[in-house]
Amino acid sequence: MTRRVLVMFAALALIALGLTFYALHLKRKVARDEQLAAEQQRALAPLTNGPPTPVTLYIASDSDGTLRRTQVNVTLPPERTERDRAVLRALFGEYLQSSSSHPIGADADVRDVYLLGDDTAVVDTNAAFADAHPSGVLAEELTVASIVVTLNANDSKIERVKILVNGQERETLAGHADLRRFYEASNIGQVVKDLQ
Amino acid sequence: MAITAGLALLFAALLTRQAGVHAQSPAQNQLTVYSPRTSYSVPLLDMNGQPYAGLVELLEPLGSVDARIDGKKYKLHFTPPGGRPLELQFTGGKDKGKVRGNGYKLPANFVLQNGRGYVPLSVTSQIISRLLGSDIELHPAARRLFIGSVQLRYTLELHKDNPSRLLLGFPSPVNPTIATEPGRVRLTFRREPIVSSGPENVPYSDPLISGATFSEHDGLAELDVTGTAPLMANFADGGKTIIVTGAPAPPPVAQEAPPPPPAPANPQNPVPQPRQPATPRFLVLIDPAHGGSDIGAAITPSLPEKDVVLALARRVQHELANRGIAAGLLRNSDVAITLDQRATWTNAARPALYIALHAANTGQGVHVFTAMLPAANLSPQGFLPWDTAQAAFLDLSGSVAGSVAAELESRKLPNATLLAPLRPMNNIAAPAIAVEIAPPSGEVDEIASAAYQEQVAQSIAAGVAAVRAKLPEVRP
Repeated sequence: MTRRVLVMFAALALIALGLTFYALHLKRKVARDEQLAAEQQRALAPLTNGPPTPVTLYIASDSDGTLRRTQVNVTLPPERTERDRAVLRALFGEYLQSSSSHPIGADADVRDVYLLGDDTAVVDTNAAFADAHPSGVLAEELTVASIVVTLNANDSKIERVKILVNGQERETLAGHADLRRFYEASNIGQVVKDLQ
Repeated sequence: MAITAGLALLFAALLTRQAGVHAQSPAQNQLTVYSPRTSYSVPLLDMNGQPYAGLVELLEPLGSVDARIDGKKYKLHFTPPGGRPLELQFTGGKDKGKVRGNGYKLPANFVLQNGRGYVPLSVTSQIISRLLGSDIELHPAARRLFIGSVQLRYTLELHKDNPSRLLLGFPSPVNPTIATEPGRVRLTFRREPIVSSGPENVPYSDPLISGATFSEHDGLAELDVTGTAPLMANFADGGKTIIVTGAPAPPPVAQEAPPPPPAPANPQNPVPQPRQPATPRFLVLIDPAHGGSDIGAAITPSLPEKDVVLALARRVQHELANRGIAAGLLRNSDVAITLDQRATWTNAARPALYIALHAANTGQGVHVFTAMLPAANLSPQGFLPWDTAQAAFLDLSGSVAGSVAAELESRKLPNATLLAPLRPMNNIAAPAIAVEIAPPSGEVDEIASAAYQEQVAQSIAAGVAAVRAKLPEVRP
């Protein structure tokens, strides 16, 4: 073998090695981008154009069983039920982050929010919300409480909240929290004080 | 650089497509596959009026699988453990393909959907047979597929003792779900390749046991034993024998003898449901949550909430007995009870106190709950609305919760007392609390440790004993 052939082989081997590393890098990048895209999609892009508005979220924490009040900026639609839905989707977006202190089902979402009269909200969640929700009295209570007080904090007219799953009434969220009832924001407010 | 970019695009496209493969619509029904290594379920989709199975889902548990799509062409490489790659080729919308290089005709067209390849259910056995070279048995109507000689055949042996016993024998230990209803015990085998060993319907001319029926459907097998009186099933011989016999006549809960020392959760030891006590006395009714197919929270993959709370319930019952307090369990075996049944039975038993037990793998320590209901001015002796019956007892329930929390505190167990929107507590017409235990520290397994459960059980029992004087006796 001539020296020239050897050099050529060495160069090709280097190129192959480089391509392998590049391919591995791209694989990781694609996985990262997909995860990020999924999280961003869940975290909800604004439903409408306009300036972001500060909204109050009550975020649950499983480790110490508390609800923490926080503010995030969300672009809110002008219509009231759409606004309520955007607030709840922002709340779900927090829970769907990989670093969430209170993880819920991966594809959980709020399908719609309906108003009965002026003071009662019916929150229609998707099946993934309930089917994949961690089971436990406290874990489920934290979710329900955070939904009710978050809605009430951003739409103070809402005094009662009912949660549906896929448009249907369900007996419990994941085996514990009662979903057949209407939740009174004032009752939940007491619970939240206990949880803070 | 252009080559590199091209490769990168190709690679990214492949990765993206693979990601798409894992995001398909949910299955309508399932095929259960039993192999010597594992048992698993494959979703079936209804296409063109017949069930289809995904090739990747079918083959992945049996070896490594690499599937690629080029236009309408579907190519899959299957490598059995320790073997060499074997190739399958099909074309979307065509019924002809190749398996291991040989021509293969499907009874219906191959389907490509959402980046996945599907074949009719009826050929799954032939395809696996050609790839593995094993004998395959497919029960298409029952959606069950057996690879190799994995079938487990049971034996039936009726012993005409007093009462009669039907012995179900299996070649290896089994763990079916057991459901009982008056005059019937149903054993459901989801993961065990149980098949019929003779006639599927065996009648008996016996005063207690009238027959046994085997059936298979929807990827599972069932054995139904029917009788003329309530039946129960017990495991023996390390799970290789199940004995079905008459359930003992239930003593009234209030007349129960002091319970035996607590034993580990044994889902195969059904005990009759409580009956209304005949005479007034102080009775605590303990409700271990969940049971049967409702496992509650998966504390760990092998430790369901239903087992943790049953073991804890037995300990609480024992600790209450040590303090002279009679206690009954709403379930003392792995049976499913609906929330409404729990409330109905509890209210019928008229206990002085109802304690629901739960377990979770999130958080830490013990949470004591009372019902989240608005206070109502209701007389406990009057007519109570079903949905808010507990509202009449909130003060007493709060006293018990506080007392139990104080006992937990004295044992230095992390605890909190909270309101909870928990069913069936709202429907209970008696003082009621719910106790949810979480691991005492970061180690989830500790939730089932005898020492931890004993401390919690002692706290609950001591807390109840401390407020006993405040609680009403059982109403006649």
